[in-house]
Amino acid sequence: MDSKKVPAIEVRHLTVSYGARPALLDVSVTIEQDQLVGVIGPNGSGKSTFIKAILGFEKPDVGQILIGGEDVQNAKGKVAYVPQRGAVDWDFPITVKEVALMGRYQRIPWYRNASAADREAAMEALSMVRMTDFADRQIGQLSGGQQQRVFLARALAQGSDILLLDEPFAGVDAATERAILDVLERAKSAGKTLVVVHHDLTTAAEYFDNLILLKQRLYAYGPPSAVLHEELLSQVYEGRLRVFANLMAKEGAR
Amino acid sequence: MMDGLLQAFWAPLTETYFQKALIGGCAVALVSGVVGCLVVLRRMAFLGDALSHAMIAGVAGGYLVMKLLFGIEAHAPSMLLGSLIAAVLTVALIGLVSRVSRVKEDTAIGIMYTGVFALGVVVVSIFREYIHIDLMHFIMGDILGVADADLWVSVLVAALVLSVLVLFFRHFQLASFDPVMAASTGLPVLLLDYALTSCVSLVVVSAVSMVGVILVVGLLITPAATAYLLSDRLDRMMALAALFGVTSVIGGLYLCVWLDSAGGGAVMLFCTLQFLVVLVLAPRYGILARWLRLRRLVPQQVIEDVLITVLRQKKDTPLPVLQQFVQAPQHAMLPKALRQMEQEGLIGAAPDGYRLTEAGEKEAGQVLRAHRLWESYLTSIGTPPEAVHQTAHRMEHIRGNGTVDYLDEKLGKPQVDPHGQKIPPRQKNNHFNKP
Repeated sequence: MDSKKVPAIEVRHLTVSYGARPALLDVSVTIEQDQLVGVIGPNGSGKSTFIKAILGFEKPDVGQILIGGEDVQNAKGKVAYVPQRGAVDWDFPITVKEVALMGRYQRIPWYRNASAADREAAMEALSMVRMTDFADRQIGQLSGGQQQRVFLARALAQGSDILLLDEPFAGVDAATERAILDVLERAKSAGKTLVVVHHDLTTAAEYFDNLILLKQRLYAYGPPSAVLHEELLSQVYEGRLRVFANLMAKEGAR
Repeated sequence: MMDGLLQAFWAPLTETYFQKALIGGCAVALVSGVVGCLVVLRRMAFLGDALSHAMIAGVAGGYLVMKLLFGIEAHAPSMLLGSLIAAVLTVALIGLVSRVSRVKEDTAIGIMYTGVFALGVVVVSIFREYIHIDLMHFIMGDILGVADADLWVSVLVAALVLSVLVLFFRHFQLASFDPVMAASTGLPVLLLDYALTSCVSLVVVSAVSMVGVILVVGLLITPAATAYLLSDRLDRMMALAALFGVTSVIGGLYLCVWLDSAGGGAVMLFCTLQFLVVLVLAPRYGILARWLRLRRLVPQQVIEDVLITVLRQKKDTPLPVLQQFVQAPQHAMLPKALRQMEQEGLIGAAPDGYRLTEAGEKEAGQVLRAHRLWESYLTSIGTPPEAVHQTAHRMEHIRGNGTVDYLDEKLGKPQVDPHGQKIPPRQKNNHFNKP
């Protein structure tokens, strides 16, 4: 397959600024297909700008973003976005089934209703995350992990090869974190590329194939063993050294 | 008697003013119910208020332009156009102020709409020689005196706005629910925002002549909020909101005829009463349902007391014994707790009373572990021996967030409690920790 060779996401010399302050400075990253990639960095490190840029919302001062070899502005809908849990109104009158169906909306012309095939695809996506039993529930009646899985189903229903997740593990317990990771790994083996913004350095090594360490600049990109490097981390997360000391001890013991 | 009742309902229907009020009111209420759902879900309620107040400047402007330039008195279409322009301008000003300054949006709305409203009032009073606008009419509305022009406007607006909302239902739904995802799929979210604001403006403008500036917001959000309490799907919520809007107009109009009251007021009063009734009675989100749910809820404490009582008895435990040892806040609570525990598979009924199942035994062991660790802890902090058991009995229910493990660690993982009784070992994934 020829398409295998095209990187899923290619970011070239990306600089995005708000006024005099760059949110991202000269970031170049090539994410190959079928990868589970974590984006880490302290608060205000430009992670959310990075996400927005990949979704095509930011106008770069300089640089280019290619999604599957195509400029990001022409690739709307090619990257499926899973929002942070806090960004969703859980009281919205909408059922699990309808959220999954939303993933199909971009394919339905405005003058037509959702077809049986669309509904089927939505249910299929729900079964991939094991949520079919809850199809008719209102989304607020689910637990945190179930809610996250429903939005994953929506992203899968979009049929995009690239999934972008904003802190899917925030505010869920350990067992739920496992369940979500399980779904991510299944999506990966189904040929998806997943880019996940992640907060917890202690689990980063275990979860991801590659890590992107950001703080305005790209500090490191590569396998966790190369990125979770004491010197690098202390440089990026100044003043939070204790955490790393523990982390390093753990890494060493492994 | 029947005749009288029939007469009370039928007589108004034969009057032209009542028919017009009914047609115009229903058209306006129907569409404002539907569009109101999006207003409620997007938390734009205050915006509806702003739009209606801003209108007066537009109406005055439209009136003045036609009068001074063409000498036409009270030209309805230009007043309508004027109010639309004023509405859109106000929205743009609100956006501008909240974007370029540190003033937040709700404050910006408050500043701008009172400002534009004041401008309208001043203009109308300065040019009172030329403009014959009854401010009271504008503020209170007159549903019983609907002019034919207003009737046409409201019906046309209703048809237009409804068509837009039905045709682009999915787009509005997605953009309201998850604007970021919507934009990432290439949906023109900003355009949809403007379209919705325009729809709200149109509806507000057409409704003001009937219910007035002050009450129009109610017509926009109250039926929608009523429907919100009853529905978990947007399409159904919209249908219900339309229905509630129409029933408010019908009910309100009859109320106004029978009581000989102000029309707009009667409609909104009926609408609000409708909301209150639903607020109390709604099956899932109503106050009554909530109260019943809370009442039906069996406190964890009662369940744990039952478990530990049966465990201590070491044999099948009949109900009277349980009644003696379990402290239930209400008398009916214990049988309810027993039923629930049977369903959850913690206890089973035996010929001589209740006995623990395997899961129940495990769970009871954990409660006992908590009890005995609390006893050890209380002793270690110098609680008098005679108070230890009673206090621990109260404290054993505090088990969440690793409390028990903390006590265990702190006390150096004791094997026996102060009375020399064995502390059951820790078990993972017990009933209490289930999500």
